[in-house]
Amino acid sequence: MTREANAVDFWRGFALITIFIDHIPGIVYSHFTLANVSISDAADLFVFLAGWSLRLMADGGGRHMPTRDVMLRLFGRALELYAAQVLITMLAIALLALSATELKNPLLLQWHNAAAVFDDPVPTHIGLAVLTHQLGYFDILPLYVVLMLMAPFFALIDRHAPHWLLPLSLTLYLAVLVFRLTLPTWPVSGTWFFNPLAWQVVFVLGFVFAKGDSGIGAWARRHIKVLRLVALPIVILGVLVHVFDWWPDPIDVPNPKLIFIADKTFETPMRLIQFLALVTVFSVAFPYIRMAAKLPSLNATVDGLIRLLAMLGRNSLYVFCVGSLLSLSAQVVRFVYRGTVGSDTVVVILGILIMAFTAWLAESRQRTRPAGPPASAPAASPRS
Amino acid sequence: MTAQPTPAAAPTAAETPLSKACQPGASALAGGPPLANVAAALAQRKQLRILAFGAAPGRISRRGGYTALIESMLARALKGIDVIMINRGVSGELAANAAVRMKNEVALEEPDLVLWQVGTNDALAYVAADEFAATVKEQLDWLKAHKVDVVLVGLQFAPEMLRDAHYIEIRDTLRKVAAAENVPVVRFFEAMQIINRADTDGPGPVADEFERDEAGYNCLAQYVARAITLGVFAKGMPKRVPAAQ
Repeated sequence: MTREANAVDFWRGFALITIFIDHIPGIVYSHFTLANVSISDAADLFVFLAGWSLRLMADGGGRHMPTRDVMLRLFGRALELYAAQVLITMLAIALLALSATELKNPLLLQWHNAAAVFDDPVPTHIGLAVLTHQLGYFDILPLYVVLMLMAPFFALIDRHAPHWLLPLSLTLYLAVLVFRLTLPTWPVSGTWFFNPLAWQVVFVLGFVFAKGDSGIGAWARRHIKVLRLVALPIVILGVLVHVFDWWPDPIDVPNPKLIFIADKTFETPMRLIQFLALVTVFSVAFPYIRMAAKLPSLNATVDGLIRLLAMLGRNSLYVFCVGSLLSLSAQVVRFVYRGTVGSDTVVVILGILIMAFTAWLAESRQRTRPAGPPASAPAASPRS
Repeated sequence: MTAQPTPAAAPTAAETPLSKACQPGASALAGGPPLANVAAALAQRKQLRILAFGAAPGRISRRGGYTALIESMLARALKGIDVIMINRGVSGELAANAAVRMKNEVALEEPDLVLWQVGTNDALAYVAADEFAATVKEQLDWLKAHKVDVVLVGLQFAPEMLRDAHYIEIRDTLRKVAAAENVPVVRFFEAMQIINRADTDGPGPVADEFERDEAGYNCLAQYVARAITLGVFAKGMPKRVPAAQ
């Protein structure tokens, strides 16, 4: 039995489609995604909602779960994400190799950090296995794997000293910004595109805000109207920064510079604050979207949209994996068909349809499974 | 990598040699304008900080790869100079995205020189040539305003791309922007085209092409090292190319 459409699944579905489009460089529809009007983008939303889902996993979906079971469950989840990352990376490499062979073009072997796999396969395969070598646009799942490996500790602190979790996370975040702590890549020298030591703060914020009955989550819900009044100008300012190119010159800002600049790798405060403002403002949206679905003139369209996005969101790991491979395939298609508006439109529509089919297939498979004990599948547990 | 220090007040230069296999491609390389900020940094600090962007920094080999080769060649050529290579290459990135990231990295890493391989992904993603030109020009202006020198590295070569009008347009656009901005550009595509012509009568299997391309990056590292040393000492391209030992 699939759960009802809810705001978390809806927005996660939205993030998945946005990431799919954003990961096709040059596609005409990338001009209409969140990243064009917001300092943060769909990656922030994806990680925040992953933290939100962690709350459901860590709390056992409303049933008391022993700490040991929670730990095992979270480590198991990290392993599942790792397996997904290894699988889609190997498929992506095969896709590039196949495209290069069929199109007789060695340039395709060099896309997205793949060159090292063919240049020097011995160390690069070790790097792929230990996640220190990541293909371009296949670098969100490694972040998610590291966050899930940290998740048992977050859950443990939350159980025994809940008021310490966010301060500890913020302290680590500030230390990362001040001392520019990051994870190195290998065998190609460099740093992780998504720095897990910085991005953990988004994950933890999702985790703590998801708790509605106490802590900062309860406080935010009590003061949501005031918070929205504060957040709205920040969201508008984010749009203006984009439209009028008001980005601060990174050279001119004082040290430590990461505190003042907009940087995705380090999820700097400018991005983080704007993202939290965006979430605060748009937290009001889903109930209105649902109401719109009841209007006779909009009923079919909006209801279909809600059901589509929620279904994608409910199955986000499968959809994310397929979406990543679709983005790469779309790049090859654009290369062959020269990226016209027509081919871009076909690519986006087909991509969304295949992502929807993936989610439908995952749910169909679950529906046809023999009924098991309810403890193995709590209603709100994300298969994402 | 740190070269042996010398007591001289100013750095001394040795020609960065080209291997025999890479020499034919040198005829596609033009003598570039001087790298004044790099020269000043070398004289004052005895240190050269290079920030590498684009796909090329992702090329590795058992011999060390693109950035390691440049680093070692410069350390040999610029005696007494501490050469620090900072790799921030992301292959597959469009110029517009790289430009945003580069500003942050320049502010954080304070390089004297940026090596920017640019254009291939914009060409493959069919970014309009005028949009590409505006992005590169704006970035070069920003780097100049902040006294950071640049060596551009042109598009990657594949025989099939000779028939792609947009690819050639982006290649030529980059060359024009570089000339207008008086910035050295290593014309990788043209150099590899010459080497390829000398090496083969036509495109072979992709695996062979890739091996040739891998060797091409070895040449690219040599061309880039040469462009930097020539820029530092502003001698212009020598007529006779010395062979590697």
